[in-house]
Amino acid sequence: MKRRSFIQQVIFGTGVLAAASLPYGLSSLLSPKVQAATRSRREIPLPGALADPEEFASACIGCGLCSEVCPPHCVLFHERDGGGRVNIPYINPEERGCTLCGKCMKVCPTNALSVTAREKVTMGIAQIDRTACYPWVDRGICGACVSACPIGEKAINFKLWNQYRPVVQKGCVGCGLCVEVCPQPSLPIRIVDRSMGTITPSRI
Amino acid sequence: MNKKPLTLYRHLNKLRWVSLIIVFSMLILLPFLHMYQTFVAAHGYDLLSNADKDIYNVMATLTSPFTENPAKGLDVIKGNTWSGTFFGLQLSDPLSVVSQIAAGLTIYWPFVLTALIPVLLTLIFGRFFCGWICPATFLYELNTNLAAWAHRAGLPVGNRHFDRRLKYLILLVGLILSAITGSVLVAAIYPPAIVGRELYYGIALGGFGAGSIFFVITLLFDLLVARRGFCRYLCPGGALYSLLGHFRLVRIQRLVKTCNDCAMCNAVCEFGLDPLHDNFGQECNNCTACIAICPTDALTFEIKITDQPNQGPGHLGHLYKREQGKNSSTKQEAIK
Repeated sequence: MKRRSFIQQVIFGTGVLAAASLPYGLSSLLSPKVQAATRSRREIPLPGALADPEEFASACIGCGLCSEVCPPHCVLFHERDGGGRVNIPYINPEERGCTLCGKCMKVCPTNALSVTAREKVTMGIAQIDRTACYPWVDRGICGACVSACPIGEKAINFKLWNQYRPVVQKGCVGCGLCVEVCPQPSLPIRIVDRSMGTITPSRI
Repeated sequence: MNKKPLTLYRHLNKLRWVSLIIVFSMLILLPFLHMYQTFVAAHGYDLLSNADKDIYNVMATLTSPFTENPAKGLDVIKGNTWSGTFFGLQLSDPLSVVSQIAAGLTIYWPFVLTALIPVLLTLIFGRFFCGWICPATFLYELNTNLAAWAHRAGLPVGNRHFDRRLKYLILLVGLILSAITGSVLVAAIYPPAIVGRELYYGIALGGFGAGSIFFVITLLFDLLVARRGFCRYLCPGGALYSLLGHFRLVRIQRLVKTCNDCAMCNAVCEFGLDPLHDNFGQECNNCTACIAICPTDALTFEIKITDQPNQGPGHLGHLYKREQGKNSSTKQEAIK
């Protein structure tokens, strides 16, 4: 009889635990996980964000304040996907770039975003594909990325002997405004991790 | 000794509805205000679509009495009940702080301090957030009314009862899962956070997210399985507020001398508590619905840290009179 009551208690306990974890299972079922690797170009961190994405996900409570104060409306969320990363903010520079106004860093209640000087922001670095950029393949003059850059000379300028061929400098913080304004449909300029360099390696 | 409750108490329930409607309409208004701010910042009125021009014009007329410079002046009220800024004051839900500590396993004090005022208010007023502020409560109470109409129309409505301690377990499981996965998982199932951010997604970002489906499921759960079931049995935030409000100072208490045992308070209580037998417990959210409906003014606010024990049947009820009759007859027998 003792064994039977013990088994009954174990079954009851697991049943209660299953009932308690049911809402969490339901919510993660409704927002399935998406591979992060397939979308890194369209998903860069916010300015002043914690360097480690895992650390950022644990510090962010998903209140949406960063998006609500953003003047260019560039902060997006994992709304329907992401599983554990649900409602974590990111910026898609191909849609809208960050203007480095710094409002989101000020308003963030946690340490997910901390106030950082505009030159010290590390969202990534712009990388130019020299086999597709119009001036670099001698298909006319452009300079849209250079004129849009909020940092200026230190981040991106023209090559010394050939006007209109943009070259990314070390001062680039990766805000993504250049990606937003780039007129080339294949977007030869993109925001990548800082370790990947400023020139897209040639595949030829 | 015959205390009478203040007449104000009977009208607090209306005040509560006003408060709920204000909070909910602010959550709808704020995304529109943000869209208006982005339009102002972009200096491109002529490039807007017609619908956006309408939003711009309406918001411009709404906000023009309050601020000259909408791009900056409208930043004073931002966010939702999960976390927000209110004229420079940052306020956060205590659950967001607790779950963030669990997820990050570190304590970031500036963030912890944003929950200080809500925690102090909860220590005084108990689970008042659930009744007076929570934007999900607004929808859940409308849902309760819908269920009442459906019941009157003869449709089947769920009225099951579960163990209300389940929500404490859900809070615990949520915190442990947060610590394991390293993300604030509780936010995914906490209705006020869901409502706040889904309204923002739906209005300003152009589409509702997965949380809205979850919220609709909880509404159906309330309608078809258990009345106010999510708040009563499942809500992790409600569990935390209940724990904080265990020794709350301001309590609703029954005045036994004017009670007539009509049990309307038990019927109207959204949280399924038992005011008739003085069994309020830690889960009372001071919503004052029972005070508003009491026909004999037998419920009042008192400053105490524990409930009084069961005072027995109300002195105006039949049960009390019968017992009195018995007692007096036994006394007479004893005298004889």
